[in-house]
Amino acid sequence: MIFLLFLGKTIKYENKSVQIMSYAHPEVLVDTEWVSQNPPNENRKLVEVDYDPVNGYQKGHINGASLIWWKRDINDPVTRDIISKKEFEALMSKNGITADTEVILYGDFNNWFAAFVFWVFKIYGHENLKIMNGGRKKWELESKDYTTDEPQIASTKYIAQPPDEGLRAYLFDVSRGIGKEDTVMVDVRSPAEFTGTITAPPEYPMEHAQRGGHIPDANNIPWATAVNDADGTFKAVEELRQNYEPKGVTPDKDVICYCRIGERSSHSWFVLKYLLGYPKVRNYDGSWTEWGNMIGNPVEK
Amino acid sequence: MLLDLPVLKKGSFYFIKDGESDIIMEDKTKRGLEIKETSIDEKINVKADKGMIHDMDGIGHWVPIRWYFPKDSYDLSKVEIHAEAMEKKYTKLRELTCPDDDD
Repeated sequence: MIFLLFLGKTIKYENKSVQIMSYAHPEVLVDTEWVSQNPPNENRKLVEVDYDPVNGYQKGHINGASLIWWKRDINDPVTRDIISKKEFEALMSKNGITADTEVILYGDFNNWFAAFVFWVFKIYGHENLKIMNGGRKKWELESKDYTTDEPQIASTKYIAQPPDEGLRAYLFDVSRGIGKEDTVMVDVRSPAEFTGTITAPPEYPMEHAQRGGHIPDANNIPWATAVNDADGTFKAVEELRQNYEPKGVTPDKDVICYCRIGERSSHSWFVLKYLLGYPKVRNYDGSWTEWGNMIGNPVEK
Repeated sequence: MLLDLPVLKKGSFYFIKDGESDIIMEDKTKRGLEIKETSIDEKINVKADKGMIHDMDGIGHWVPIRWYFPKDSYDLSKVEIHAEAMEKKYTKLRELTCPDDDD
């Protein structure tokens, strides 16, 4: 006999209590099968977020999905910064999204840029937001259908919240956090980037910095250690805990994640904040392309 | 290993190596780039290892890393023509950003 005592927490199986660990906020994830069974409608929008839409969305996307192009749509075109509240409102309106819409994000590059956009949505206070676990990678592994048809979207009037700066770390936050016992930095780049062997992989020649290495005392916990290599889905909660806690990345700390341009770190930010439920996690989107280029910044190799 | 092959000629931006059945031309600016496919480079019409480079907008572009010129159709002098064209192209690009200050 099976008693379900509390959804996702404890089940009673043959008179034994079995602890089932679940994500702290399972409501932020949907799987590919759910997406294939629940197409977008007036209250639910599906948005593909791509770094490279030419080799992604334009070649094929899930039916009904609109596109957010990370570089063009979510970043200020001149100053290095995310878009303003007003620009975010215009972007949402263009995508047919209102403040109450359920939005499901997915994308290329293992959802790195979908996670970045999730972070921006949260900065501007969007509540009902989810990521499709595994992104394009899993969808394609399952040979699910794509279309090249772009949806017809009626624009809306979106009202955003003022930016929640508590989700974002700036250069001075990071400088101030160095050497503090209650702050921990998570460098989610590859070990080669962390040690300064390279400043960027050859595929990204525009993303180099003048210095290689890492922020002093940062922990190198690459983003990829949080996902299952086979399909890009997030690892189970206990595996995630084992990934971070032994390195001192614990829920009692002020956690700052960074990478090279802030996209892989928003993936780890998502894991720590929503899957493990850490109360204070910030994404340092300036990341190594800011830190490693600033004159006088301390660098460890 | 391609790395161990004898070098027949080198420039600032290329190596020409002596393979078993091919003369291999390598673009030195693409060192370390992951090979994602090997297919015909339609500009030169020989087999090439290709990778992808992302530009400022994030768009990926296929780029050849090394070309395999079959020895039964190409000798060193013919490969050198392609190598020198590549050398000229990169030298010109470098001049745009880091011109010599002779004058």
